[in-house]
Amino acid sequence: MKPLRDILTKLLAMSRTSPVLDEPQRFLLLSIVIGIFSGLVVVCFHVSIDFLNWITIASLDPPSKWILMLWPAVGGFIAYIVIKYIVPTARGTGVNYTKTAVYASDGYVPFSSVLGKFSTCTLSIGTGNPMGPEDPALQMGAGIASLLGRIFHLTRDHMRLIAPIGAAAGIGAAFNTPITAVLFVMEEVVSAWNAGVLGSIVLASVSAVIVNRWFLGDDPLYRVPGFEFGDYSELIFYAAIGIAGGALSALFTRHAIALRGFFLGFTERRRIWLPAAAGLAVGIVGLYAPETLGAGYGVIDGALHDRFGWEPLLLFGVLKLLTTALCFSCGTPGGLFAPTLFIGAMVGGGLGGLANEIWPLSGSIGPYALVGIGTFFAGVFRAPMTSVFMVFELSASYQIILPVMVANTIATLVSRHLQHESVFQLAGYQDGLDLPSAEEQRETPVMHVEDAMRRGRGLVVPKEMAVREALATVEQNGGQALLVDIRYGRWGWVERRDLERAVEDGDGDKTIHQTLRPRPAIRTHPDVPLDQALRKLAIYPLLPVASRVNPSSMIGTLSLEDVHRAYGISNRTAQRDSPAPSQTATQA
Amino acid sequence: MQQRFTCQICQNEIVHPGEECPYCKSRSVIAEGASPRILVTVFAVMIGFFALTTMLAGAFERERRERGRQHFESANLLMKEQDFDLAIEHYRDALLYSRTETSYQLGLANALFAAKEFPETEHRLVQLRGVDPTSGIVNYRLAQLAHRNGHIDEAVAYYRTAVYGRWDDSTEATGNGIRVSVRLELVDLLEETGRDRELAVALQELTEIDPSNRDYRHRYAAKLIDIEAPEEASENYSLLLDSDPRDRIALLGRAEAEFRLGNYLTARTHYNRAQALRIDPATSERVALCNRVIELDPTRRGISVAERYRRSRVLVDRTRSVVIGCQNPWGDSFVGPLPPLPPDLRGALDAADAVLRQTRERPSDEKVEANILLAEQVWDKSRPLCEGTGPNDEALGLVLAKLAR
Repeated sequence: MKPLRDILTKLLAMSRTSPVLDEPQRFLLLSIVIGIFSGLVVVCFHVSIDFLNWITIASLDPPSKWILMLWPAVGGFIAYIVIKYIVPTARGTGVNYTKTAVYASDGYVPFSSVLGKFSTCTLSIGTGNPMGPEDPALQMGAGIASLLGRIFHLTRDHMRLIAPIGAAAGIGAAFNTPITAVLFVMEEVVSAWNAGVLGSIVLASVSAVIVNRWFLGDDPLYRVPGFEFGDYSELIFYAAIGIAGGALSALFTRHAIALRGFFLGFTERRRIWLPAAAGLAVGIVGLYAPETLGAGYGVIDGALHDRFGWEPLLLFGVLKLLTTALCFSCGTPGGLFAPTLFIGAMVGGGLGGLANEIWPLSGSIGPYALVGIGTFFAGVFRAPMTSVFMVFELSASYQIILPVMVANTIATLVSRHLQHESVFQLAGYQDGLDLPSAEEQRETPVMHVEDAMRRGRGLVVPKEMAVREALATVEQNGGQALLVDIRYGRWGWVERRDLERAVEDGDGDKTIHQTLRPRPAIRTHPDVPLDQALRKLAIYPLLPVASRVNPSSMIGTLSLEDVHRAYGISNRTAQRDSPAPSQTATQA
Repeated sequence: MQQRFTCQICQNEIVHPGEECPYCKSRSVIAEGASPRILVTVFAVMIGFFALTTMLAGAFERERRERGRQHFESANLLMKEQDFDLAIEHYRDALLYSRTETSYQLGLANALFAAKEFPETEHRLVQLRGVDPTSGIVNYRLAQLAHRNGHIDEAVAYYRTAVYGRWDDSTEATGNGIRVSVRLELVDLLEETGRDRELAVALQELTEIDPSNRDYRHRYAAKLIDIEAPEEASENYSLLLDSDPRDRIALLGRAEAEFRLGNYLTARTHYNRAQALRIDPATSERVALCNRVIELDPTRRGISVAERYRRSRVLVDRTRSVVIGCQNPWGDSFVGPLPPLPPDLRGALDAADAVLRQTRERPSDEKVEANILLAEQVWDKSRPLCEGTGPNDEALGLVLAKLAR
């Protein structure tokens, strides 16, 4: 014990003497710690699910099929009871919970939700319910990150960012794909490309994946066979898979959410029995199609290796779709990540197999199943970037990229056309949450200076112009300020009230340059976002808009009134809110 | 790491924290960063958690391996009982527990192959080959699949890699045995697809591996004859006859090789020995042909100049008869003008007539040579005329071919 104590004492001494890390550095370091903790928790989660699965439905001495049939119901029931009476914080989807932490509760995720998700999802998934461990792992990662953030007393800004970092670590460890985890969190949780948090998310995700691989090996979830894309006419079939995946995902989202809404209308007493009922249905389906039980990674692997014909693939896909929708709407704990991959693979493989029967192409179902994975995922979660990179990361094939991009883009468009919101958004509405989505942000147009600027040189005068004449120009153009051309691509600005005062003082016939000494103006460019230009307008009343290729050439001007006009705020409102020229002069 | 205190409102750093910020008087002073004690605690918890996870993951790994092994053994038993479908299920279950276990993957591929589930077999094998490109058994199975799918080039390449690849679970002796059986399959494939040259090479390799195996040498020697390598064929047949002079097939093979080399005497000797063991009409015909060639050959050693001269004249005469036969394949029944002969052939025939008219000439080596040359000229120049028509004097053709060599 003594050497250990010595080491600790030395470490403590070093920590006192070493230079203090600044906040960003500490934040990055904490990201690694979050990654390690999340990785460890997810390993334990994975092991617990598998152990329970081996004890129940995958026992080496299988009991009678009737007992097997009851396991999902028992697991779902107990898990729901635990959520209801012990850890209500484990209710709902992990993505929405983490988003709420980011946007509503300053990064606060109660640690009880980690324990709750761990135990209830182990019970539910381990007994064969067709849910996935990725979404719970995401929430567990967020919970761990939030706890560590609180322990390390992070500032509020950093606390808001900490939950997505943990989320990336959780999902990265659960799915064993670091890039996908980063993209998923950026697209689904952060809902924006935030460069400030990207580094930390990457660090946490990579650390978690390393921990996961350290304990469970570096096998991918599926071994994807070599893929060769030979005939470009095959793209037609991939596009068809994209259409089918998109349509089916919209159908799934709409009906699962509708069913969820219907069940949410039940009394609490009746809702307790819903996961058990859903589990029973899963068990009955599992008797005839055991492939639909649990997360189903092995079955996806089989589909990728041409294990099944197109008929069983389509059957498994439809059955899984029904059981997943039922379990999700009944509140059975677990995520939708793995089931969507399963359904996508089955439907894609099934359609590919059918197409091969009619018009033999590559002869293998595997690539269609692989592309199908991405289409259904893209349709349900509306995360097209993640879906493309996920398939790429799983297959490690450059050749698959083209069909995947075609199919996933089509799937996203079709799904969006048929069902505007994603499943998480709709579930959030049902739970009383209105959280932002990446899709929403993508659809909001960004205004630029060129959308608001006043073209031409109406508010620009030479420095030799008389003050009275300059005032007339301002009044004629309805502005509050004027730009003065000083020469050599430099401009100064004077306010209308300064001109008025100079006229009142009897300097109306003198030149602007002699009387007012214009203050230097700062230029902007047509492509600059209006948000950035507005920050300058807080200091300068009028900005010269210069060309990028010839900065000394002015192509227009930008004032606050122009911005108001561009945003559709009426001139009257702008005038009402801004002080009158006489008032301004008096105040001055 | 020192602990800092910051005001959340005015963002000022506070050295001596109290309840209020000394600058803006707000109560939003928070401790930033962690005290060393917290840091140590967090790291201690991490180490503890790591240890716990190690234990749990270790138990999980053991259980997983054990379950995989049980399924694998059951699958192997079922394979022996030829219950391939159930074996496949067990191999799949084994792979669910240990996805990267090559022996399980290979077992599954073998079972799928046996159950004729060829598309999935191919996927599995290609994946295994990606992991270990030199695996003998994987390449062997891929070769069989490629052969089945009619991809012969691919199959040959896989067979070759399998032959030189690594074969696990085999001693040197069994490994060689496996390699030989793979080579034999390759030989069968090459034979079936008519790739004679590659086949001869494969057979040669087989004879080098097992020089005492008569079957390989028989096949090799026969293939050498097929690919027009009679000298090597003769050598191989000689080796066979050294160890068993009464090997009739080797005798016939050697005779054929010598025949093709133009050694008609040796060929006849071996044909006769074979006939002595068992008479068959084809060999009798071959012996008769040898006799005719030997009797016609003017260059045969040990005959007098007069005899050589006589034979050279016979050669000229028979050559001339063949050409006339070519000019008029219908014989005496044909009435009408015969097709004109080319001037050079006509000239050569006239020279032949002149030689045949001189009956009292004194034999000499020079005249023998001149007659042989003339016969060859007539023969060569008559080829365009005689192609596909005319009488077939096989012995004459063989003698002239030998003389040309």
